[in-house]
Amino acid sequence: MLESFVSFLSNTGAAALFQNGGLDALKTIIMLAVACVLLYLAIVKKYEPLLLLPIAFGMLLTNLPMLRDSSAIMMHTEWFTDSQYMINEHGHMNIDVGMVVRNGGLLDLLYLGVKLGIYPPLIFVGIGCMTDFGPLIANPKSILLGAAAQFGVFFTFIGALVLSACIPALGWGVKEAASIGIIGGADGPTAIYVTKSLAPALLPAIAVAAYSYMALIPIIQPPFMKLLTTKKARGIVMEQLRPVSKTERILFPIVVTLVVAFIIPDAVSLVGCLMLGNLFKESGVCDRLSKTAQNELMNIVTIFLGVTVGATANAASFLTASTLGIVCLGLVAFIFSTCGGLLLGDIMCILTKGKVNPLIGSAGVSAVPMAARVSQTVGQKENPSNFLLMHAMGPNVAGVIGSAVAAGVFLSMFNGL
Amino acid sequence: MDLSSGSHLVTGKGITMSEALGMGGETVVIGLGIVFAVLAILMIVLYIFGVIFNKKPKADPTPQKAEEAPVMQAAEAVQEEDEDELIAVLTAAVAASLGTSTYNLRIKSYRRVPPKRPAWNRAGINDVIGNRF
Repeated sequence: MLESFVSFLSNTGAAALFQNGGLDALKTIIMLAVACVLLYLAIVKKYEPLLLLPIAFGMLLTNLPMLRDSSAIMMHTEWFTDSQYMINEHGHMNIDVGMVVRNGGLLDLLYLGVKLGIYPPLIFVGIGCMTDFGPLIANPKSILLGAAAQFGVFFTFIGALVLSACIPALGWGVKEAASIGIIGGADGPTAIYVTKSLAPALLPAIAVAAYSYMALIPIIQPPFMKLLTTKKARGIVMEQLRPVSKTERILFPIVVTLVVAFIIPDAVSLVGCLMLGNLFKESGVCDRLSKTAQNELMNIVTIFLGVTVGATANAASFLTASTLGIVCLGLVAFIFSTCGGLLLGDIMCILTKGKVNPLIGSAGVSAVPMAARVSQTVGQKENPSNFLLMHAMGPNVAGVIGSAVAAGVFLSMFNGL
Repeated sequence: MDLSSGSHLVTGKGITMSEALGMGGETVVIGLGIVFAVLAILMIVLYIFGVIFNKKPKADPTPQKAEEAPVMQAAEAVQEEDEDELIAVLTAAVAASLGTSTYNLRIKSYRRVPPKRPAWNRAGINDVIGNRF
């Protein structure tokens, strides 16, 4: 009787908390506190709750104190990041999928969907179903604003390399720098897709930074929008967009997929899925598929993606100097992406002799539709009768394509290293 | 320069400041160049779309005009009759927005500002945008 009671006590989480000494216990408690803060931000402050809540709860689940080798452990992050658990295939260290399937907990199994690159493209199918490329087709030059807003991605890439040269202890190389830079694309699935291939150890920090800053776009962008545009330019009313025919809407996703595939095949899994979803919607003959992709499928994948990405955030990978660096550089990335878009917006404004409102440039970061809405709000402060929303949606959806292409560029340059 | 696999100049680990700037600069030029190239090609494709598919429909505007004309005249007539009433409404509106009494105000002249959209229409759109996103 007493014996079984003692054995029960030694199996409790409270006992497990101190199995590795006080320091690890403290780290575990800090991680649980971080998870609770993120839950607070998601529930009370409503920062991207649909993503932040699953991420935060995944973080909570993975940091619960567990005895070593307990079968209750839901996530073994080390199986995906530590080379001693991997198998060597032709000189490349790959995860041991067989072992994960045989011995893994629930979150290990679900995380395979992230690791094997399944979830982000599926989310892109749903995003494609919800995206209206009409404003972009009607105003083709706004697609360049979506390219200019990737400036932050590449600038931050340099920033991360320079920071790593200053502080070698961070241990960042080009792969890590690329993963951090892609935060500036303001596109969660893209950031996750790049990071899981190039720098899986940084995945939780990058995902949390990307999604948190996306929620903060209405606070981050406006000061720079005012700084980089003149009062007069902000008040510019743009001429109404032409109507776009159904033929154009149907041809667009097909042509984009072909063009991207011919130039940068590594971007096809993201761009191709985005365009597949869009074709579901625009063709008008796949209504049921379109509805499923943008509702049920997207919600299911979001739950899997959020919880498992959060679950990779254990103390060993999250409570590091790298996380701090990523949080700072992520903000730099967002700011420079915003500025890149705005500066090209200014140039277009001058070249077209005041027909383009430069404010739509900041919408080139791909957070749809927040960034476009910020352009609308700032523009309306200058000229209450001005409606920039549809004009800003052009660069906004171009930003989604732009950041996926930037992701493809990074993958093709660094994935083989 | 050692560019074999695993060299620090390839992986970027443990590089010096000048190497970091060099590698970073190179990647930025190539990467941003490719992003711009892809999107510029799409832009050209979209311009071609516009040329092919955006043929302006030839509409015959005459019948519409005939219908509109009498309505316009009627509207003008109504406006002239309601001059006093309109001034009273304007005075009240200005007083309300300035927070003063109508006795302190005198409308000397008024002029219709050509609106892009009527105010109520605008308020409605703002409301929808505010709710939707």
